Amino acid sequence: MTADARGPAEAAIGASAQAASETGAGLAAQVAADLIAHRDGDAEAMGALVRRVTPLLWHVARGFRLDAASAEDVAQNTLLAFVRHSHEIAEPHAALRWLIVTARREAMRAVAHRDRTELVDDAARTVAAPETDEPERVALATAAQRVLWRNVSRLSERCRQLLRVIAFAERPDYATLSTALNMPVGSIGPTRGRCLAKLRVLLASDPEWGAS
Amino acid sequence: MTDDDARAREDQLAGQLLDRADAELLAELARIYEQIDPVPEGLVERIGFTLTLADLEIELARLSTETREPVGARGEERARTVTFSSESLTTMVTITPQDVGQFRIDGWLAPGAALAVELRTDRGSLRTTADLDGRFEFVEVRGGLVQLVIHPTDGSDVRLASLVVTPAMEL
Repeated sequence: MTADARGPAEAAIGASAQAASETGAGLAAQVAADLIAHRDGDAEAMGALVRRVTPLLWHVARGFRLDAASAEDVAQNTLLAFVRHSHEIAEPHAALRWLIVTARREAMRAVAHRDRTELVDDAARTVAAPETDEPERVALATAAQRVLWRNVSRLSERCRQLLRVIAFAERPDYATLSTALNMPVGSIGPTRGRCLAKLRVLLASDPEWGAS
Repeated sequence: MTDDDARAREDQLAGQLLDRADAELLAELARIYEQIDPVPEGLVERIGFTLTLADLEIELARLSTETREPVGARGEERARTVTFSSESLTTMVTITPQDVGQFRIDGWLAPGAALAVELRTDRGSLRTTADLDGRFEFVEVRGGLVQLVIHPTDGSDVRLASLVVTPAMEL
């Protein structure tokens, strides 16, 4: 079937589904499959799950501007808790959501801990905090990436956190993500959502976007 | 475009379904983050190392400070001093390169107590007991992933409720 044979609504849904399928089966589905295999006694399944979600957990933590060691702790502690609770997660498709929620909670605890220790002891700052959000400090491979990054940097911190997580969840599985990120469903819903819309508007008014 | 126009356009876009351009933007954004803030090398392995202890009652220590200082005549080798903290214990270790591929670990537990200390490596565990001041050492440790596990110990002045485990680190 060609695009011409469909109405506008069908075309939009089709494009969305196609975009989703092009980015793989979806992290939520892969994680669910790993969890089921793990429960069925597959000794390799948890290792596969760890490899699959570690980048996402790292980026959740770094989105909170945690230093590298604290971000590693967040990923480690989240997965340790996951292994321990893996038999209690009733719906395997909720496993990715569980991981994101837990990682965000761990990251917020680490932020609170850091802020507390900095008040009493400046020496605790020997592990440097990341400064990767400053565009001028960032060396990117292509002109398109530089323009995209410049516009992403103009978004609120909350939007940058959200888009960073969605980007690493591979497929924007909005039902999972809106719950995991504690956002009202309407704000990211099954639709594009506020943060991505803002980015699209910014890019549309940037003369350098699409010029390269 | 005026601010009002931009706002109206944003509202309209926000309510629409995701399209291929969004998927491409998100994929590009993921590539950017992979360049500017890559997942540290070995993180998956370090996490896997700790996960093998998941069935045990453990208290996880956090890395709180890490410093490196040059050692040796040419200052090429670096000694690392790392401090881990958890609710019950602070553990400080200095790791000094010895012969090629071998390391010496000098550790100190606070509060000081004669606790049993295990060094997990990817080739098995080394064990020792700290002295009354909490000092311990491991010598001729081969490079690779290691992790300290401090055990509740009968007769020690410090009573641990569970194992205290540091994050895994690469020597």
